[in-house]
Parts: sequence; structure tokens; C-alpha cells
Amino acid sequence: MPGGDGPVLTVRGLSKRFGGLRAVDDLTFTLQRGTITGFLGPNGAGKTTTLRLLLGLAQPTSGEALILGRRFRELDDPARSVGAVLESNDFDPGRSGRNHLRTLGVATGTPDVRVDEVLELVQLRAAAQRPVKTYSLGMRQRLGLAAALLGEPELLLLDEPANGLDAAGVHWLRRFLREFAEQGNTVLVSSHMLAEIAQTVDQVLIINEGRLTATVRLDELADGPRSLEDLYLELTARETA
Amino acid sequence: MSRQLRSELLKQRTTRSSLALLLWMIGLILVVVLLHAFALNAASLGKASNQPKVYGWGTSIGALFAALLGAISVTGEFRCGTIRPTLLATPNRARMIVAKVIASALAGALVGLLAEALVCAIASAGLAIRGINITLSTGDFVQMLLGGAAAAALWGAIGTGVGAIVKNQVGAVVALCVWLLLIESILIGNVPSAARFSPGASAGALAGMIQNASGSSLLAPGLGALLLAGYGIAVAAAGLIATERRDIT
Repeated sequence: MPGGDGPVLTVRGLSKRFGGLRAVDDLTFTLQRGTITGFLGPNGAGKTTTLRLLLGLAQPTSGEALILGRRFRELDDPARSVGAVLESNDFDPGRSGRNHLRTLGVATGTPDVRVDEVLELVQLRAAAQRPVKTYSLGMRQRLGLAAALLGEPELLLLDEPANGLDAAGVHWLRRFLREFAEQGNTVLVSSHMLAEIAQTVDQVLIINEGRLTATVRLDELADGPRSLEDLYLELTARETA
Repeated sequence: MSRQLRSELLKQRTTRSSLALLLWMIGLILVVVLLHAFALNAASLGKASNQPKVYGWGTSIGALFAALLGAISVTGEFRCGTIRPTLLATPNRARMIVAKVIASALAGALVGLLAEALVCAIASAGLAIRGINITLSTGDFVQMLLGGAAAAALWGAIGTGVGAIVKNQVGAVVALCVWLLLIESILIGNVPSAARFSPGASAGALAGMIQNASGSSLLAPGLGALLLAGYGIAVAAAGLIATERRDIT
């Protein structure tokens, strides 16, 4: 059930070190209900590691991430709270798309009717019985999204969801995320491509070398996406010899 | 828990690797049992002490493939990346591993029963064709089928634990094959007094025979069952601890 007016996601001092490398360094931010936030940074900036930490797949070295006030691994019904797409190809190649969703649905107590509903939603009904190895990259992205939506979550975490989508697919995804957020849900979408997300998001978190370098609300930018690009390039510029 | 168990059973039914493993097992049984039933000389095969060399293959092959099925239920998820959606659906990793252990034990029991039944049928047909008298009693056959199924169930649990510890599919498969087919035989051949307590020989104790050991060289069935259950719990627990501590990248 909705957790009141508090932030959907609270990240405080989140850090992850791999040996000497600070992959995520003292990250602090919150996500408010009904917003779409872009998580923007160059490859290797720590976006993927951050998402892994939020979802309890990896343990932070310090700090914490709370979803609806609790750590992900302590949520009673995680699929009802959070849906996530982390990789575009997390499937058994020989298993059909529908059976992939069923294995997850059974584990979360989601009925098969809902499996067919999300297949319809991501327009994979016709290919549902085929093994995933016959799917295009765009179809795999949509199947991943269908899996994330199975439990009707309030928060969606997407890692580079536009990879492999064609123009129509990107357009569809944008519209879908908009409608999802308008229903009071919350989205965090990572990307290394500013152009992919600039038109969709309400705010952008810019991350570089594990640190949060800026939080930008798009409605506060004088020049919209245009000046965001300048800001992004400035903040993530690498020293070149 | 029952949700996770049903999910794991559904995964095993809907992956190609389960079917592929079964076909490999059937092929291996055909080759190995026919080879032994027809290559050994008739006088030697007529002796009661030598027939387990043919019939005993059901126990070791059943245990091996049950273990492989268990291992792949974990390593396959790491290989394909389905471990991520699996852990998003079930963040409680202990619950996920326990479900896999139980699912693999159930599947392992079926694998073991099939292996023993196939070996019994093929070996008996082979001996009959050669006119060799079968010295095993009905009780021996019943113990082989039921004990072999139970032993394979426990080996399914061992395999799941090994898969969770090793994580790498090739590594887990090679480790299990080397242990069951090579190291166990070396132990039985060289230090039989200690080898009786090994996990392979314990499976043999349950089923009454394993390809290179039978009768007094094995423990009593009840003791073998207890010992093998102990191995299963220990290895599965180690796999659970390894999984709890691991970062999933």
C-alpha cells in the first residue's frame, strides 16, 4: 500500500568500493511520488552499481537505500513495490517469454491472467509462446519490462531501457513511462545518452565517477534540454591530455 | 516458501537443459550398461559378486545426473542472468536456495528412479540374451529402485549446494563428474575402509550397490541414508551461506 507522502526512494550516503575503486561514492538523493528521474552519466560512472545496491543484489560498503522506508530485502511484497530491468538479456534462451513471466509470477503470487495482461501491454502476445532466443533485442527489452510490471509496482528502476529499441520503440517507451508516472507511480531511468531521456524526465541526477555532481529539475532550466546538454557535458568532461 | 518451490519446479520443467540432461543420461546408460553386460565374460558375470558391476551403474549415473540437474538449477541462472529477476521476485536468498534444494531433490528422485529402472531393464535383458543366470533377488531390485531414487534425491541437494558454491556452470559440472566418476572409484580401490563413508558409497549403501562396490564393502542402508542426508544438508548449507554473502553483478 502507498506509504503516505514520504519519498518513494531515499538514498543516504550510499557507497560501494571494489578494492581501491570507489564505484559509488557517498550518494544521497530522494525520489518523490509521481516523478520520472533520469540517472545520467557516462559509461562506468556507477549507475548500474547504484541500481544493484538499491535492489539488494549487492551490499553497500556504507550508507543505505530505502524503498518506501525499508531496505529492498526487507520488503514484504517486493514485486508490488518495485519492478526493475537491469540487463536486456536476463532470460533462459530456450524458455518461452510467457513461461519466463510465469516462473516469476508464481514466485510472487501473481496469477497467470496478469502474465497475459503484461504481455498485451508490451505487445508481445503474439510471440509469447516462442523461445526467447528467437526474440529481437527490442522484444527482449519489452519482455524485461513486462517482468518488472508483473506485480503492479509503484516504483520502476530501469537500466538503459532504450538500448536496442528502434525509434518507434523509444517513442512507445516514453509514452508508457509518462502514463505510468501520471498514475502516481515513480520511475528512475538510467542512461548514458542524454537525448534518449531529456524529453521524458522531470529531473536529472548527473553522476560521474561514482559521485552525484548535479540534480537538475527540467522545469527550472531556462533553455530546456538544450542547456541541460551543455551542463551535462561540462560536468562529465574528462581531462584529456 | 511453496510459491518459490512451485516456481523452481516450473523452471525445471520449462528449460531445455533438463531434457538435454535426461537424454544424455539415457544415452550414457545404454552405452555403459550394454558395454558391461556384453563385454565381461560369461563365467565371471555368472558370479553373484560380479553382477553389481553391471547393475550398480544405475546408482552412480542416477546420482550424477541428479547432482548435475541440481547444480545447473543454480549455475544456469548465473549463466543466463535470470538470477537477477529471480532475486528481485524473491529477495530472501535463503528461501530461494532452499526452494532450489527441495525442487532438485524431487527432480533427483525421479532421475534416480529412471536411471535404476533403465539399468535394471537393460542389464537383465543383456544377461538373459547371453543365458546368464541373474543372481539378484526381488528384494535387491526393490532396494535398488527405491534406494537409488532416495540417493539421487540427496545427490540433487548436494549438486544444488555445489552449484551455489561454485557458481560457474562448467566448473560445477566438471567437479561433480570428477568426484563421482573418478575420485570415488580411486578411494574405493585404494582405501576401501574409509571410502565406505564417502557420499558416493553412501548412495551405494542406500541402493545396495554402486558400480564398483556392493555387499559388505558398503555401510548398512540406514546408516548410508543418514550419512548422505548429512552430506546433502552440509553442502546445501554451504551453498546457502555462499549465496547470502555474494554480490550479484
